[in-house]
Amino acid sequence: MRMSLSAIALAVAATVSAHAGEPAKKPTVINPPPTAQDWADLAKLPDWSGVWNPKITDQDQQAKTNPPPWNEKAAKQAEHMAAEEQAGRPPPIFVECLPEAMPSWMLVTHNAMEFLFTPGRVTILGESDGNRLRRIYTDGRGHPDDPDPTFHGHSIGHWEGDTLVVDTVGIRPQTYIAVSEAVGVPNNGDMHIIERIHLAAPDVLHDDLEVIAPHVLTKPWKTTRIFFRQRARKFDIVEGVCLEESFSEKTDADGNAIFVPLPHQVGGNLYAPNAKR
Amino acid sequence: MNSRLAILGIVAACGVAGVGSVAAHHSATMFDRSKTLTLKGTVVEVHWVNPHVSYLVNGTVKDDETPSDWLLETTSPGNLARVSNWTRTSVKPGDKVLVDFSPLRDPDQHGGNLKKVTLVDSGLVLISNIREQEQPGLE
Repeated sequence: MRMSLSAIALAVAATVSAHAGEPAKKPTVINPPPTAQDWADLAKLPDWSGVWNPKITDQDQQAKTNPPPWNEKAAKQAEHMAAEEQAGRPPPIFVECLPEAMPSWMLVTHNAMEFLFTPGRVTILGESDGNRLRRIYTDGRGHPDDPDPTFHGHSIGHWEGDTLVVDTVGIRPQTYIAVSEAVGVPNNGDMHIIERIHLAAPDVLHDDLEVIAPHVLTKPWKTTRIFFRQRARKFDIVEGVCLEESFSEKTDADGNAIFVPLPHQVGGNLYAPNAKR
Repeated sequence: MNSRLAILGIVAACGVAGVGSVAAHHSATMFDRSKTLTLKGTVVEVHWVNPHVSYLVNGTVKDDETPSDWLLETTSPGNLARVSNWTRTSVKPGDKVLVDFSPLRDPDQHGGNLKKVTLVDSGLVLISNIREQEQPGLE
């Protein structure tokens, strides 16, 4: 394990009880101050700096060659959605700008992401969804006994050589397991995701995912998503407020710059001003 | 400035036309990718936002038709910057352009998926296909 923060919920500053015979209470510190060595140890990690883009052509291919092992009920839904998408009526699944979430962010995103290494944590930041992010704790802690369900779940990780192994639970049952931006089924709860993230080449990153979703899959689904880096190109991740597209600009009666909501078609594209309704 | 799209938004908010479900990350198969049309016209508005940039362009697809507005949507600002050094000011209101696009299946919707913009005055060509530029290490 490469991360040096050894602490799991470090106990510090024991409090002396004011009452004789009562055991001293030790407050639990889950985010201890990093040491100089903790910062220095980050330099030993592989170089994942820069901006990583998803290989969308491979996403497209994987949707055909390695689909999730849907159970019968989920398979019917996925087949219907795929037919609708093919017919030019793509079903909207990431409605109202809710996050693509886990695991669909990793599976079907068209946007860039970046990794930040700090003591005890790996953070993944992405474009869109109001700048989506994943916090992966690498300080040795476990999952909470009963985590609050979230869109990206509770993630803990550790390093095996140059591979970051991430274990994620506590994901909202409503988040989709998607194979495209129009085909997917909600995981329906109790999903567990194991990822092995590593460099496959100097500028190629693989995320080997294992998705365990007992309510919609007949067995764990193993799949890989590919990301690439183009260091010579001058671009950076920019702010990505997903809902911004749904508004236009206006000046109100007081001269204030304000937003005005725009109508969308069912599939998600904006209406032209002269579109037939 | 009150944009033409903003006026549309006010109309929608007043209930004359319903504001539909907002689905910002969406598939592009509502556009007929088997077709490529070329719109010759002038940029009216630029909507440079995530997750999809769009341009309102007034022009004609056929020489003998009356110019009309077309709303042409493409990928995100970050992706455009990566594949074409495309910035918020690369294409401005008032610019004369040729736009290659895949139309919505109903032509009366006046919408499409923008694939390429040629600026008539400078000859600059901007391409939006992110799938064609997925090799690592590209310069």
